[in-house]
Amino acid sequence: MRKNRMPISRRAMLAGAGAVGLTLNMPKGAFAAGGKLNFYNWDTYIGETTIEDFTKETGIDVQYDLFADNDELFAKLRNGNPGYDLIVPTNDFVERMLTADMLVPLDHNKIPNIKNLDPAFANPAHDPGRKYSMPYFWGTIGIGYRISKVSKVPDSWADIYTSDEYAGSIAFLNEATTIMQMAMKLMGKSMNDWSDENIAAAEAMILAQKSRITAFAPDNGQDLLLAGEVDLAMEWNGDILQAMDEDDDIGYVVPKEGGLLWEDDLCIPKGGPNPDAAHAMINFLLDDKVGAANADYVYYATPNAAAREHLGPEYNENPAIFPSAETLAVSEVSIYPGQEVISKVDAAWTRIKAAG
Amino acid sequence: MAFFGPTAGWLVLFFFVPLAIIWVYSFGENISLTEIKTTWTLDNYKRLFQPAIISLFWRSLWLSFISTIICIMIAYPVAMVIATSSAKAKPWLLLVIILPFWTNLLIRTYALLNILGTRGRLNDLLEWLWNLGDGTLALIGLGGYALLGDAFQPVKFLGNPSGVMIGLVYVYLPFAVLPIYSSLERMDRNLLEASLDLGASQWRTFRSILLPLSIAGISTAAIITFIPMLGSFLIPNLLGRGQVDMIANVIERQFKSANDWPFGSALSLFLLYITFIILAVQAFASMRKGGNRDG
Amino acid sequence: MARKRRDRAGPFEYSRKLSLRISFLLASIFLYAPIIVLIVFSFNNSRRGGNVIWKGFTTKYYGKAFNNDSLIEAFTNTLAIAFISTIFAVLLGAMTAVVLWRFRFPFKPVFEGMVAMPIVIPEICMGVSLAVFFSSFGLYVPPESPFPLNLTNIILAHITFSFPFAAMIIRTRLSNFNREMEEAAKDLGATEFQVFRDILIPHMKPGLIAGALLAFTLSLDDFVITFFTSGPNTVTFPVKVYSMVRFSVTPEINAASTILILITLLVTALAMRFQSFEEGDK
Repeated sequence: MRKNRMPISRRAMLAGAGAVGLTLNMPKGAFAAGGKLNFYNWDTYIGETTIEDFTKETGIDVQYDLFADNDELFAKLRNGNPGYDLIVPTNDFVERMLTADMLVPLDHNKIPNIKNLDPAFANPAHDPGRKYSMPYFWGTIGIGYRISKVSKVPDSWADIYTSDEYAGSIAFLNEATTIMQMAMKLMGKSMNDWSDENIAAAEAMILAQKSRITAFAPDNGQDLLLAGEVDLAMEWNGDILQAMDEDDDIGYVVPKEGGLLWEDDLCIPKGGPNPDAAHAMINFLLDDKVGAANADYVYYATPNAAAREHLGPEYNENPAIFPSAETLAVSEVSIYPGQEVISKVDAAWTRIKAAG
Repeated sequence: MAFFGPTAGWLVLFFFVPLAIIWVYSFGENISLTEIKTTWTLDNYKRLFQPAIISLFWRSLWLSFISTIICIMIAYPVAMVIATSSAKAKPWLLLVIILPFWTNLLIRTYALLNILGTRGRLNDLLEWLWNLGDGTLALIGLGGYALLGDAFQPVKFLGNPSGVMIGLVYVYLPFAVLPIYSSLERMDRNLLEASLDLGASQWRTFRSILLPLSIAGISTAAIITFIPMLGSFLIPNLLGRGQVDMIANVIERQFKSANDWPFGSALSLFLLYITFIILAVQAFASMRKGGNRDG
Repeated sequence: MARKRRDRAGPFEYSRKLSLRISFLLASIFLYAPIIVLIVFSFNNSRRGGNVIWKGFTTKYYGKAFNNDSLIEAFTNTLAIAFISTIFAVLLGAMTAVVLWRFRFPFKPVFEGMVAMPIVIPEICMGVSLAVFFSSFGLYVPPESPFPLNLTNIILAHITFSFPFAAMIIRTRLSNFNREMEEAAKDLGATEFQVFRDILIPHMKPGLIAGALLAFTLSLDDFVITFFTSGPNTVTFPVKVYSMVRFSVTPEINAASTILILITLLVTALAMRFQSFEEGDK
C-alpha cells in the first residue's frame, strides 16, 4: 500500500474537475515498476491529469498516441502490432479483432478494480465474462438539433430520414453501417438484422432522401450545427454535449424508435511489448476516484458505478449522458455482422455516393 | 551512368516491390479478416465495371480535368511574374506562393469551410456587398429590394462540385506554379525582343513565342496537378460534404471500413493504368511535336 | 546588360505589368484567405467551436500548444523528416532528371514510366503497400532507436514519393538547356565533370530549388503514407492533427499550425539570407 501526496491542484478546463487525492490499494507486484506503456487512444478521451497521475503512482512512463477512428486502428494493427500495449476499440471492433485473433486475454487478477464496474457491464454479448476487454466509456448516437429552429423536438428518425420539413438543413454521419442501421430502426427492424431486403430498403430510403441532406459529415456534424449550417445532425452524444457547452440553443435527443448504444473498451493487442503495464493502466482507470475525475473531464457515460458515486446530479442525471430507461429499452448495441455483410453494405454505400 | 543505378534501384526496392504485393493482392480474396489468399481470381477486376464505380471514375476524371485547367490558368501569370522579377524579389515571391502550403492541409481545409459555408465569411461579404448595392439603389429610388430581388440568398459553395473544384485548385496551385516557373526562368529574351522588333503585338508574341516555349512546363504542371487530384479523398469528404465522392473515397474505404484490400488493390491499380494511359498519350503528343530537346 | 529605366514595363518585364501584378495579388488573396482565418481563429476563446464561432480574444491556446509535449514532438519529427527527405529527394531527382535528359538507352520510355509511377499511384495504395512491405520483410526500425533513426521508415517512404516530383521539375528545367554552351565549354578544354559542375548545375538551380520546395511541401503535409508507416513514438504533425481534429478543432491546433508556419518561414528566410550573402549579386 502506498500513500501519495495530494497532486498539486491545477486549474481544470471543464466542470471543476479539481485534482483528487489519490490513495490506491495496489496489490503488490501487480505491475513491473518502471518500464513504458504505449497507449493508443481517441483524442480528448482521458482526464487532464490522469496520465501524469498514473506515472506518479506506478513509475511507468506513458507514450500516449491518438487515432481518429476504429478503421484506422484496425488497419494499423492488421499487419502486425507496431508496438502498442493498450488500445481502445469500440464494441463491434472488439468483436472484429476477436474474430481475427488480435487480442490478449485479460488477467483479472491484475485488475482488482473490476469490482467497481456496474454489474450491467459484466457480461456483454460481444465479450462474455469480460475475458478480453474492460469497458471504458459508453454512449449513444442520436440527433443533435437547434432548439429554436425546430417545430418540435425531433424525436423520430423520420425527421431526418423521410421528412422534408428540414430539407437542406440535415447532416448525416459518414458511416455506411450506422446510417443503414438507423434506417432499419425507423422501419421497426432490429439494427442487426442484415437481410438483403433490409439493406435494399434502407438504401432506397437514403437515396430518396439524399437531395434533402446537406452533408455527410465525417466528424464535424456538431461544427455544422454550431455554425448554423444545419439544424439537425446525427451525431454521437458526447460531440453534441460539447456543442451544448458552447451554445445553449442546442439540444440532443435519442429518437423514440431507439438509437445506437456504443461502448469503448480497453483491450490489449497481441504483440505489445508491455502487457503488464497495460494491465496496470486498466486497473488504474477503473479506480473509483480516477474514474470520476476522468469522467468529469471527458463527459461521456462511465460504466464505473463506484466512480459515479463521486459525481453530482448534473452528470448522473443528464439525459444526454445517461439515457432514460425507455430509451435504453429500444436502443440496441451494434453487433459485428461479418465480412460478407460489410461488403454488401459498402457496395450499397458506393451506389448511394455515386448517385447524382 | 552511375546515376542510373541508385535511382532505378531505389524505385525497384521501395516502390515496385511493394507495388507488386498490391498487384498480387488484387488477384486475391479475403480468407479471414486479416489474411488474403491469392487465388488469381478476376472477381475484383470484374467488380470494377459496376455502374456506380464507373460513374465515380468519370466524375473524378472530369472534376480533376476542369480543376487542372483552372489551376494552370491561375498559375501561369503568377509564374510569369515570379520568373521575371528581380533576383532579389524572386525567392521571396516564391516563398509567398509556397508558404500557405506549409500549413497543415486539414486545418486549411477547415478554414476553407469556415469561409465558404452558407453562413461563412464569403457569404457574409457577398451579403454585405449586396446590401450595399441595395442601399445605393435606394438612393435613386430603386431600393427596398425592388431591383435585386427579395433577400440575399447565400451562395452554396459547398456540398457540390464547385466546392470540390475550389478545394482542388486551392491545394494544387503551387504544384502548377513551380514547373511553369522553372521553365520560364531565364528564358531567352532575344527571341521575344526579336518578335517585338518585327512588329508583333505583346499578345501575339506571347501566344506564338512564349507559350510554345513554355509548353514543357505547362504539360509538367498539368500532369503533376491532374494526377494527384484524381487521388484526393479529403477534399470531396470535407468540401464536397460527402455528396461529391470521388474514386479515391471508395479506395480509401476498401482499405479501412470495408476491409476489402483485394478490391481496393484492384481499384488502385485501375487508377494507375488510366493515368498511365494519359501519360503515354502526353508522351506521344510531345514526341510528335518534334523539336525534341531531350537526349 | 544595363537597361535604360523606362516608365512602361519592357517587353519581358511581366512583373511590372499592372494586369499581371493584379493577377498575382488576387492569387495571393485566394491563397492566404484561409491562412488569415486560421491565424485569427487561433486567438479564439472557444473550446469546441474553434473555427466556427468567435467568442473573444485569448492567447491561451498558444500557451497550451507550447506546453503540449506530444505536439512538440510531432513538430520536431515532421520537420526532421521533411528536411532529410528533401535533401535525398533532390539528389535522387536530379540524378534521374539528368539520366532522362542526357542519355539514350533501350527501354528508356519504360524507365520514364517507372519514374512517373509514384506520382500516379493513389496515396493510400502506396501507404498500404509500404506497410505490408516493411512488415513482411521485417524492415521496421525499432521505435526505441535514437532520433532521427527511428523515423527511417517514414523518411524512406517520403523520399520515394517525392523524388519523382522533383525529377519532373528539374527535367523540365533541363529541357531548356542550350547544348551549345556545353559544347563551347568542351571546346575550350573543360572536362565532363567541370562542365557538369560549372555549367549544368547552375543552370539547373532554379529547378533544384523548385524541386526542393515541392518535395519539402509534400513531405511536411503528408498524412496518408505517413500514417501507414508510423508507429508509437514516430508521430508526425499531420497524423497528430488528424487524430485531434476528430474531436475538437480547438484553437490549439490553429496555434500549433501558425507556430509551424513561423518556424519554417524563419528557417527558410535565414537560409535565403545566407545564400545571397555568398553569391553577392547575380
